[in-house]
Amino acid sequence: MSNKAARNLFIYGSLFFFVIFVMLTIDTMGKLDKRAPEITEEVNAGKMVWHKYDCIGCHTILGNGSYFAPDMTKVAEKKPKDYLKQFLMDPKSVNTKASMPKLGISSKEADDLIAFLDWISRVDTNGWPPKPILATAAGVAVKELTAGQRVYQSQNCANCHMVSGIGGTTGPDLTHVGSKRDRAWLFGHFKDPKAYVPNSAMPGYGHISEQELNDLTDYMVALK
Amino acid sequence: MTIKYESQKIAQNFYTFAVLLFLVQVVVSIIAALQFMWPDFFILNFNIIRSLHINAMVVWLLAGMMGATYYVVSEESDTELWSVPMANFQFWATVVTVALVVLGYIWMGINPQANSTNLFGTGVLNEGREYIEAPRWADILIVVSVLLFLLNNFMTVLKTKKWTGIQGTLLGGLTVLALMYLPGMFYTKSMVKDQFWWWWVVHLWVEGAWEIIAGALLAFMLMKVVGAKREVVEKWMYVEVGLVMFTGILGTGHHYYWIGTPEYWLWVGGIFSSLEPIPLLIMAWDAFRTTREKRVVTNRAGLYYTVSHAIFNFVGAGLWGVIHTLPQVNKWTHGTQITTAHGHLAFYGAYVLLVLAMIYITLPAIRGVKAFNTSRAFQSFWWMTISMVFIVLTITGAGMVQTYMERLMGLDYVAVKTNYNLWFWILRAIFGVGFLYGVWIFAVDYFKLGKEPAPAVAPAPEKA
Repeated sequence: MSNKAARNLFIYGSLFFFVIFVMLTIDTMGKLDKRAPEITEEVNAGKMVWHKYDCIGCHTILGNGSYFAPDMTKVAEKKPKDYLKQFLMDPKSVNTKASMPKLGISSKEADDLIAFLDWISRVDTNGWPPKPILATAAGVAVKELTAGQRVYQSQNCANCHMVSGIGGTTGPDLTHVGSKRDRAWLFGHFKDPKAYVPNSAMPGYGHISEQELNDLTDYMVALK
Repeated sequence: MTIKYESQKIAQNFYTFAVLLFLVQVVVSIIAALQFMWPDFFILNFNIIRSLHINAMVVWLLAGMMGATYYVVSEESDTELWSVPMANFQFWATVVTVALVVLGYIWMGINPQANSTNLFGTGVLNEGREYIEAPRWADILIVVSVLLFLLNNFMTVLKTKKWTGIQGTLLGGLTVLALMYLPGMFYTKSMVKDQFWWWWVVHLWVEGAWEIIAGALLAFMLMKVVGAKREVVEKWMYVEVGLVMFTGILGTGHHYYWIGTPEYWLWVGGIFSSLEPIPLLIMAWDAFRTTREKRVVTNRAGLYYTVSHAIFNFVGAGLWGVIHTLPQVNKWTHGTQITTAHGHLAFYGAYVLLVLAMIYITLPAIRGVKAFNTSRAFQSFWWMTISMVFIVLTITGAGMVQTYMERLMGLDYVAVKTNYNLWFWILRAIFGVGFLYGVWIFAVDYFKLGKEPAPAVAPAPEKA
């Protein structure tokens, strides 16, 4: 192959692949809006807040960004909205161990940001992030769950709380909660968390049945 | 070794700027590493430190490439640059713009609300998009600077019309680089489209335009350090950069797996990005073969850095990339420390060593020295390379633990980061200090090269 032929192969070959890339890009652009919910004014305002505070400087979203803090793609699906709002405005008031600084996010900005995070959690991402296979498998394998453990699962308590190393770190660790709190405190706290912990960002669970709350309390008391 | 044309000296301005920013990049990296253990460690939050770390790197690598290009184009065209005053102006305009952007980041770090004001569609201090954090007004100034730079070089080539393959490819790569900055300069309401166009900039820079520039400079350096034949190195250069483009353009698809884009990208990205290491392997083989064939080594330090660049380009950008590029694997590793590990070794191998190699090959000529003491060049090489290899291994370890515990077992992100990966962060910071020491030796060498007494004779033993 002469040098000229090699050069032409480089130039025209690159152009060929670039044209294919542009065609795929045009096709993709036509399909994106159908794969995501509608973008409201609030969602767009939330995206601007995301940029304003350079959130991507610590977090990832859709898996892209800095790897210093948790991914935000599904956060709106996993955490209660009230919790998110309180956390965004003053992280350490909700979770003293939080690494996130208080940035001065206003109430309106927090609402917009949550609308944006809610939007992104409903984008069709080809199944990413995948459900953890071991945790999923464990949930199926453990047949003999107590009634309280079933409530703990169905209400997704593990999204925020940890028991024996499994679960979230945004709420307090519950591994030994039974030795710290009594039955009356736990039961009352489920119904109205703020009455017991003034700064609490946990939503109340008064809407689930008394029986379920009793079962859940049984489970908590047993954690010693 | 002397330069043929006085205007080649302009390269030195860019090199000095690059070396200073390299030091800044690595000093802030130590702060960032400590913040992984103590998030409140410094007055500036992690996001600002990280922006400084990565932006400093992008700018110093670009500055190094620009300096090298002025040098190469003047030499290849056999003439003085079209306009030295314009090159000087372009240099200082770039320095001032970069300084303003950095001050803006620091101000925003101290007072996050300072970024509230909007100017030309982005925050006045920070665009809030990864890697391209520079606000829109700075984007525009950067584009002007790059256009002046390209104009100057193209006009130089037109003076003598000696279109050598090396400078044609080099300027072609730089033109693609300038064009591919544009898709990052408009706002979209959809975060999916935002990230889609953002990858045009990021991927088509580092796995497209920059690799073309690297291929052209590698060919130039092989001619310089061992006197390889132009005919041969240019042919291989075309093969290499050609394959980079054939695999790399559609390889962009490996960023379009999980961001809300259609499923066919899993196939396009998976197939083409798996082939991306091939041209990098050919480059490494090319560097080995060429340097083994020729026995006349005119610049040992330059040769060392050139061959290491080719090897680590393949290992860092190629191997460390391909391990997690298939969708089946990437589904679990996407967004973990595995990506960080790949990023570190890829940039060190593909671009840091490239620019340092160019400096060691062209600086002696610019300073008019025939031979120079290479001991610091080798010392800094080993300090930096060994430290970087261990930094990458610690982050790879952290990434494997994270992938297993968080993604497969379902443990919480924060729990994995603060408990199970703590030792990896500690080790990374220690090796980071080793890297900083290597950079320091290099910086000292850069400023002293050619300014000490000639090393031709071994220093006389001190009298007792």
